[in-house]
Amino acid sequence: MVEGDHHPAGASSAPGPEGGRSTSVSRRRFIGYLLGFSVVATAAGVLTPIAGYLWPPSRVAAGAGGRVQVGTTQDFLVGQGKVVPVNDKPVIVVNTAQGGLKGFSAICTHLGCVVEWDQRRQIILCPCHDGRFNPVNGSVISGPPPSPLPEVALAVEGDAVYVGDAPV
Amino acid sequence: MAARQPMPKRVWQWVDGRYELTTLLNALMHVVIPINARTFYFGGITLFFFGVQAITGTLLAIYYQPTPDTAHDSILFIMNQVHFGWLIRSIHAWSANFMILFCVLHLLRVFFQGAYKKPREVTWMMGILLLGITLAFGFTGYLLPWDQRAYWATTVGSEIAGAVPGVGQQLLVFLRAGTDITARTLSRFFGMHVLMLPLSLAAVLVVHITMVHQQGLADPDRDEGAGKEPVEGAGKEPVGKEPAAAGSAAVEPGHKPKRKLLPFFPNYVLDEIIAWYVMLGLLIILVSLVPTGLEEPANPLRTPEHAKPEWYFLFLYQGLKVVPRIVGIAIPMVGGLLLLLLPFLDRNPNASPRRRPIAITIGVLVIIGIVVFTVWGWRS
Repeated sequence: MVEGDHHPAGASSAPGPEGGRSTSVSRRRFIGYLLGFSVVATAAGVLTPIAGYLWPPSRVAAGAGGRVQVGTTQDFLVGQGKVVPVNDKPVIVVNTAQGGLKGFSAICTHLGCVVEWDQRRQIILCPCHDGRFNPVNGSVISGPPPSPLPEVALAVEGDAVYVGDAPV
Repeated sequence: MAARQPMPKRVWQWVDGRYELTTLLNALMHVVIPINARTFYFGGITLFFFGVQAITGTLLAIYYQPTPDTAHDSILFIMNQVHFGWLIRSIHAWSANFMILFCVLHLLRVFFQGAYKKPREVTWMMGILLLGITLAFGFTGYLLPWDQRAYWATTVGSEIAGAVPGVGQQLLVFLRAGTDITARTLSRFFGMHVLMLPLSLAAVLVVHITMVHQQGLADPDRDEGAGKEPVEGAGKEPVGKEPAAAGSAAVEPGHKPKRKLLPFFPNYVLDEIIAWYVMLGLLIILVSLVPTGLEEPANPLRTPEHAKPEWYFLFLYQGLKVVPRIVGIAIPMVGGLLLLLLPFLDRNPNASPRRRPIAITIGVLVIIGIVVFTVWGWRS
C-alpha cells in the first residue's frame, strides 16, 4: 500500500489504477441495498393482497340467460304497472294500450330513486323530485331527470312474463 | 449561514418540539437484556400471529355475514369471488393454530426457565389470562363458517362447559344464548370474537408487555436465585450512566461483575424480526400447500361421524370420554387454577431446572399426559 493511502477497506471512492475514482460499492452499502429491497418487497407482497381483497369483486351474472320470470300476463293488465325485482335490481313493468307490455329500469336517471307507476296519470313517476317518464318508450316527460329510463328485455312465453336486468 | 437540514429531520424536530418524543424513545430504546436470555422468541412470535389475526380478521369481517342463512355463503363468496379472499381466509385459519401453539410454547419456556418466579408473578398471571383469551378466540371463531364441522365441534365443545359442576347448565345457556346452537349463538360468538375478545386481549397484553419492559427479561442462568431483588440494569440502564455497549458487563465499584447485558434495541429486536420473517414464510408455504376448506352447510338435524373439537381442546374431550364427567372437568379446572397461582405455590427460589426436580417432573408429566390424550382424541 502507498504511504499516506488511508482508504479503509470497502471505501466507495478508492482511487483507480489510473488515479481516477472507481465506482465500487462498499459492502455496508450493498447490504443496505439488499435490506432495503427486501423490506420493500415484503411490504409490497403484504399490501398487494390486502389492497386486492378490499377492491369489491364484480358481480356474478345470474343464470338462465340472465332473465327472471316476474309474473304472468294476468299480473300486468292494460293500464297497470308494477316494480319487480330482477337479479336484485328494480325493474318497472308497464302495460299500456299504445305501447303494450314493456319493461324499464326502475332506477330514476336523476338521482337514483326507484320510480313507481302513477295509476291516475298512467305514467311512470319518480316520487323524489317529480320526474315523469313516458311508459311507451321511457322518455322524460317533465322534471329534472336528464335521460330516459333504459328499456330492458321483456318476453312473453305462454302467459309467463320474463324480464332481464340488462338494457336492450 | 447554517445548511438547511433535510426534510425528515425537520419534520421530526417539529413533532418532537411539541411532544417531547425523544425522551420517551430514549426510555424505550435504552432497555437492556441479559445476554444469556434464551426466549426462542416464542412470546414475540405469538404477538406477531396476533397482529396477523387482527389484520386478516378485520378484512374477513368486511365480507362475512353472521347469520345462519348467509354465513356459509359469505365464506364461499370470500373464497371464490373476493380477490385474494382464499389467501386471507387460509392465513387467518392457519395463524389461529400457530398463535395458540406458540402461546403454549412461550408458557413452557417461561415455566422451564423459572421465569415466573419473583418478581414476575403477576406477569405470569397475565400470561395465563392471555392464554385463556386466545383459546376463547379459537373456540368462538371456529363456529363462524357455520359448516357441519363448525356447528358440531361447537356443540361438543360447549357440552364440556355444561359439565362444570353446579353451574354447568347456566354456563352452557350463557355460552349458547339458549339451550341449543342457533342464530343467537352465532351472533353472540361473532360479537365476542371481533369485539370483546380483541379488546380484552389488547388490554391484558399492554399490561403484560409493560411489566416485561419494566422488569426486563429473566436470565435463565442467574445463580443468585429468583428470591433476590432484580439486578440493576435488568430493565433499564441506571440513571446517569451511559448505555451499555453490546455484550458489556455493568460493574459497580466494590461488587462482583454483573451479568453481561445486550441492548434490546436494535440487537434483540432484529432477532425478533428475523423470527417473524421465518413465520411469515411458513404461513405462506402452508397456506399454499394446505388451504383451508369448507364443509357442507350446518345441519342441526344430522350429526356427522367423529364430530370433535379442534386439536387444542382434544385432550379435554378425550378425557371426558374415559373418566367420569365430574372428574374429567374437575381436573382441567383445578389444573388451570394451579397454573394461574403457580408463582405463589412454588416456594423453591431456584430458577435452574436442576434445582427444581419436582416442578420439572410435574411439568413433564403434565405435558406427556396432554399430548397423549390429544393424540388419542385425534385418532379416536
